[in-house]
Amino acid sequence: MRMNLFRLALKNIGSRRTRSWLTILGVLVGVTAVVALLSIGTGVQEAVLQQFEDIGYDIILISPMGARGQGMQAAGAFPTGGRIGSTGIGQPTETSETTTGGTFSPENLLSNDNEAEAEQTAQPQLEGMRDALRRSMASNLDAGLLLTQVSELTEAGTLGTEIHPVKADTASGFLRVSTPSVDFLEAFPSVLGGFEMAAGTGFTNPTENQVVVGARSAELLHLGIGDEITISGVPFTVVGILEASDTATEDGELDEADDGFLSGQSLTQNLGAAGSTDLVLSGLTNTDDSLFVLYERATEVLGGQTMMSVTITRVAPGASISETVDAINVAIGQQEASGTPTSIQEVADEIQGTLGLIETVLASIAAVALVVGGVGLMNTMYTAVLERTREIGILKSVGARDGQVMTLFLIDSGLMGLIGGVLGLILGSVLSLFGTRLLGPSLGVGSFAPVISAWLIGSVLAFSFVLGALSGAWPAWRASRLNPVDALAAE
Amino acid sequence: MLVLNDVHKTYRMGETEVHALRGVSFDLPPAQFAVIMGHSGSGKSTLMHLAGCLDVPTSGYVEYGGTNLTSLSSRARADFRYSDVGFVFQKYNLVGNLSAMENVALPLLLRATPARSAHEQAAAALAMVGLEDRAKHRPSKLSGGEQQRVAIARALVNDPSMILADEPTGNLDTATGDRILNLLQGLVARDKIVLVVTHNPEIAEMADLLVRLRDGQIESQRVQEVA
Repeated sequence: MRMNLFRLALKNIGSRRTRSWLTILGVLVGVTAVVALLSIGTGVQEAVLQQFEDIGYDIILISPMGARGQGMQAAGAFPTGGRIGSTGIGQPTETSETTTGGTFSPENLLSNDNEAEAEQTAQPQLEGMRDALRRSMASNLDAGLLLTQVSELTEAGTLGTEIHPVKADTASGFLRVSTPSVDFLEAFPSVLGGFEMAAGTGFTNPTENQVVVGARSAELLHLGIGDEITISGVPFTVVGILEASDTATEDGELDEADDGFLSGQSLTQNLGAAGSTDLVLSGLTNTDDSLFVLYERATEVLGGQTMMSVTITRVAPGASISETVDAINVAIGQQEASGTPTSIQEVADEIQGTLGLIETVLASIAAVALVVGGVGLMNTMYTAVLERTREIGILKSVGARDGQVMTLFLIDSGLMGLIGGVLGLILGSVLSLFGTRLLGPSLGVGSFAPVISAWLIGSVLAFSFVLGALSGAWPAWRASRLNPVDALAAE
Repeated sequence: MLVLNDVHKTYRMGETEVHALRGVSFDLPPAQFAVIMGHSGSGKSTLMHLAGCLDVPTSGYVEYGGTNLTSLSSRARADFRYSDVGFVFQKYNLVGNLSAMENVALPLLLRATPARSAHEQAAAALAMVGLEDRAKHRPSKLSGGEQQRVAIARALVNDPSMILADEPTGNLDTATGDRILNLLQGLVARDKIVLVVTHNPEIAEMADLLVRLRDGQIESQRVQEVA
């Protein structure tokens, strides 16, 4: 019997094609918006959390005292894109525009022809910033000692970062020099994307001036293994060139528009995450633009004791993160050093909470569109009851019960809701695929996929059917209560 | 046996009360051909609606097969209409977006009859009224006479024990009208009650029971002598 009613309802939808499709369109738009926003939102969440997972939830970062909170200001002041002189290698030099805030990337290098002018312009500004950073960012924490003090820790290493004037044979400019300690490279290579060499051996001797170069830096500086460069005037030998990171395009060419450093930084900035820890971490998400010198060497020849640095530690399996953070605080006090421990878990939770909130707000807005679709459906069904009054009378005269008339109308509206739901699901999925491609780079999470879970599919379909049926409920009830004689008399 | 006992039906139209039927009583045993005649507004259609359980009297009662229809629930009245009554309306009352076949099958589809079986029975009913070749046409593609025959086929499809017809030959040519009347008389021969509302005196001639209504009351009642 239900099957027969189902067929009759389908027949009715088919016979009022234009209006049915317009009604379905209303639901479709709402469902499309909900599906696209939810799947993209979940996709972003998962991609961001994956980045944290890659680093490891068992990691606690210790940033210099005072860096937390001020860190982002420092990051803004940090010459991430000190564009000095020309905008490209070999281009005519213009006057210095800024040393703060712009995009830092190796494209903004100088040809050596303009070197003297550039150094003259840049050096005082850089020194000024460096001094400011030294005051707040210098870490005097001994990572090795910390490891002996806090039994919950299994590994600890230091990673510093600083902008230095770098000069190669063909170009020069200011680049970020990251300084992982030997311990750091052994314990946390994944933090630096595995620190895999595309060429060369990597660091072999901490007492020699060796440098490992990021893929894009190597390409733009035209560096090969064994080449000599100077960092802050100190000569270094290139002993390794890193594999391009994930943010590079698949065909092996580096995507110049996608500045991993800036986008990673803006992500954490926008999400209100904490301090210089994030600055360093964000820098780690893209190793292409950096140069790498061992921390031990940098402290000797590049004044590394005063560079901005973080200590990264790994907590033993099973140990409590919060208790370990407490123990680290005690240890920092005992060392009479400064530092603020932040667990990756804590940062991830913070970001996940924010992302979840954004997703909820967006989904709520999309849900309004869905409700509007439901109101449209209700309007259509109400009109249909008025139009089909005589038909309702006919149905009753041939023996239709009140409940059957109601069921017929409910199936009718529920089906329109469901069709809108199915089509909205398909369209929303397609849109989310495009959306993630567009959003990925700007959110700094590289490429990511929308998450269209079985739960999302099931609940969207169920919800759209229920929305349709609910929207049709009142008109259907009204239809079922019509007096057959009155209904038959309707024109 | 259809029994109407002192049936009154009053409609309220705004402030005005309209007394459509005022104390109508008659008995109609099975295998009888009854004709109700009267001017417009005399209460013919109201009487047909009450007999077919589409409506309930304001007072008095309608009984069919020993069951008082007046006291039935809405659901039981629907079931009664399905199982015992076949309506043929003057305006045909076919569903516009269904084919002739689907219109005829409609009563069966509302119950548990499988679609295939319903369509087979509908095809047989259409054949009875000579419309088997028009089964897939929608009402808008059928002439008035054809639509009336579809309506008759629908009234017959679930083999009811009582056929209530409002001017069943009103829109038909003479030949088709005669064919329909023969069909209705054939139903009487199969022990069914046929109650026809008409202005046509020729149909009245065929009646076992002729009831003339005037202003909601029985003006005259004539029982045909059995030959």
